[in-house]
Amino acid sequence: MSQPLIELSNLGFAWPSQDELLDIPAFHLQRGECVFLKGPSGSGKTTLLGLLGGVQKPQRGSIQVLGQELSRLSAGARDRFRVDHTGYIFQQFNLLPFLSVRENVELPCHFSSLRAQRARQRHGSVGQAAAALLAHLGLGQPGLLQRRADELSIGQQQRVAAARALIGQPELVIADEPTSALDADAREAFLQLLFGECREAGSSLLFVSHDQSLARLFDRSLSLAELNQATRPADH
Amino acid sequence: MYLLRLALASLGNRRFTALLTVFAIALSVCLLLAVERVRTEARASFANTISGTDLIVGARSGSVNLLLYSVFRIGNATNNIRWDSFERFAEHRQVKWAIPISLGDSHRGYRVMGTSPSYFEHYRYARSQQLQLREGRAFSDDPFEVVLGAEVAQALGYALGEKIVLAHGVARISLLKHDDKPFTVVGILARTGTPVDRTLHISLAGMEALHIDWQNGMPARGAAQVSADQARAMDLQPRQITAFLLGLNSKIATFSLQREINEFRGEPLLAILPGVALQELWSLMGTAEKALFVVSLFVVLTGLIGMLTAILTSLNERRREMAILRSVGARPWHIASLLIVEAFTLALAGVLLGLLLLYLGIAGAQGYVQANYGLYLPLSTPSRYEWTLLGAILSAALLMGCVPAWRAYRQSLADGLSIRL
Repeated sequence: MSQPLIELSNLGFAWPSQDELLDIPAFHLQRGECVFLKGPSGSGKTTLLGLLGGVQKPQRGSIQVLGQELSRLSAGARDRFRVDHTGYIFQQFNLLPFLSVRENVELPCHFSSLRAQRARQRHGSVGQAAAALLAHLGLGQPGLLQRRADELSIGQQQRVAAARALIGQPELVIADEPTSALDADAREAFLQLLFGECREAGSSLLFVSHDQSLARLFDRSLSLAELNQATRPADH
Repeated sequence: MYLLRLALASLGNRRFTALLTVFAIALSVCLLLAVERVRTEARASFANTISGTDLIVGARSGSVNLLLYSVFRIGNATNNIRWDSFERFAEHRQVKWAIPISLGDSHRGYRVMGTSPSYFEHYRYARSQQLQLREGRAFSDDPFEVVLGAEVAQALGYALGEKIVLAHGVARISLLKHDDKPFTVVGILARTGTPVDRTLHISLAGMEALHIDWQNGMPARGAAQVSADQARAMDLQPRQITAFLLGLNSKIATFSLQREINEFRGEPLLAILPGVALQELWSLMGTAEKALFVVSLFVVLTGLIGMLTAILTSLNERRREMAILRSVGARPWHIASLLIVEAFTLALAGVLLGLLLLYLGIAGAQGYVQANYGLYLPLSTPSRYEWTLLGAILSAALLMGCVPAWRAYRQSLADGLSIRL
């Protein structure tokens, strides 16, 4: 088939003056795939996400995203590449509390003209794209767009964060424990919404969590502990 | 532009600290500008006090002392000079006009000055402005007439025709009053913004009449007393005056006449050029003035350091904000710019509020300052120098903003996308 979205090979990374934290001989993620990556805290998952986002550079090996070798790009180009092609959802408190819901969703479009352009192509304007995404995620109530982000419930905030990750159809959505603050029912509902939107946008989803019970909902499930050959996971 | 929006929204989220910071900067800016303005106006009003006089002559002492008591009504003469010395130089061929000045009495804290009608004709202040009578007339032949300065009339509420009693000596509370010889207000001068406003003017004859029956600095008692009417009939030719002002036919003669007066053998005299003495006086005040300026500069610096502290303290709790911004594509220099924009916004708001406070302050205190210190503070737009100061403050804020900007830059590089609590 086509080239994978993410391809890691022979990846090695260590924080300065520490033992090697990550040693991943091979990992790949296909386009449109939804993958569950099990990673208990301290397994190096935050570091891995940092590497995939191009915030850190590996000491050895290669990270290719969309066929682009990340370590060949300058720091600025990696930042641009990240926002152009990746949406992020974090554990909780994902939003800037002082901006409105709508402004929070539109944030990536201010830093990536590519995503702003895609949002306009599909929905006419960035604002309409934000409204449409939020409506799909069950946040279509009138007046909600203008509310301050921190006035929403945690569950609502996570859906806003999902809309932000998805605006402008990035090829990849990385979710780092986005459901850990939600209760079990809300978790699954949130995931279904996320899957639907990823499918709609044609985005792959890399979902990192320690909660094995969610793994069955995904196309594929992996464990970072198995991927990672590094002998001793450090504290990070 | 979007960075500005983000910076403002983020500041709005911390509006209490932000407002405090802005207020601290505003107060310091207001203080700096107020000091600057008072300094400039004090200097201008000093320089405006006397104009067109070529020489001031008094008993030999220091030039600043002579200037202070003859023009500013501050301090006292060390000695009087004889009337014939005055006459001799008043009739000098180089001299165009001469104004005798006789000091030593007061009225409720305001100094009384004995002089001749030539004072109203020849005395000039500011840019060669002549004294104007707002009401009434100058004193005439009757010795017991007084012309009030504008402030004296206003502060004490005197009108024409009022009878007032002068006091001996210049202390605010005087035990020795010339209450046997009251004076009638015949004229009130228009406001000048100079010490003239705080002076009561009487004729030399009046000054003489007040003291005609005094012996050894004490009023006469019993039969030796001279009533006002008796005094009117007496010879009131003064024998002594305190100082005199000279206007010359030609400026070129100033130095030769100054030398002639200083070398006068009749009695020890001192002639000074007002401009030179003013300069000397100003250089004396210069030190205090500079100290005040330096202090207010440090206050501004303190305000800015307060801002720096507030921003730096906020950095730690804003790591999440930075990480979120990084995750949506903000580059480290965006984060750094955000903090510089923030510092600049705080300083700009501080400067604007400071200006507002200054103008409110001036508008509120204008009357009081004018009445009590004779200083007119105009509500004028900032001078070029003041703009320069404000520009320097903003530049300093920008420079200081680089400190948290640099730290946030490093921090966002190290933290990357990981959200730390």
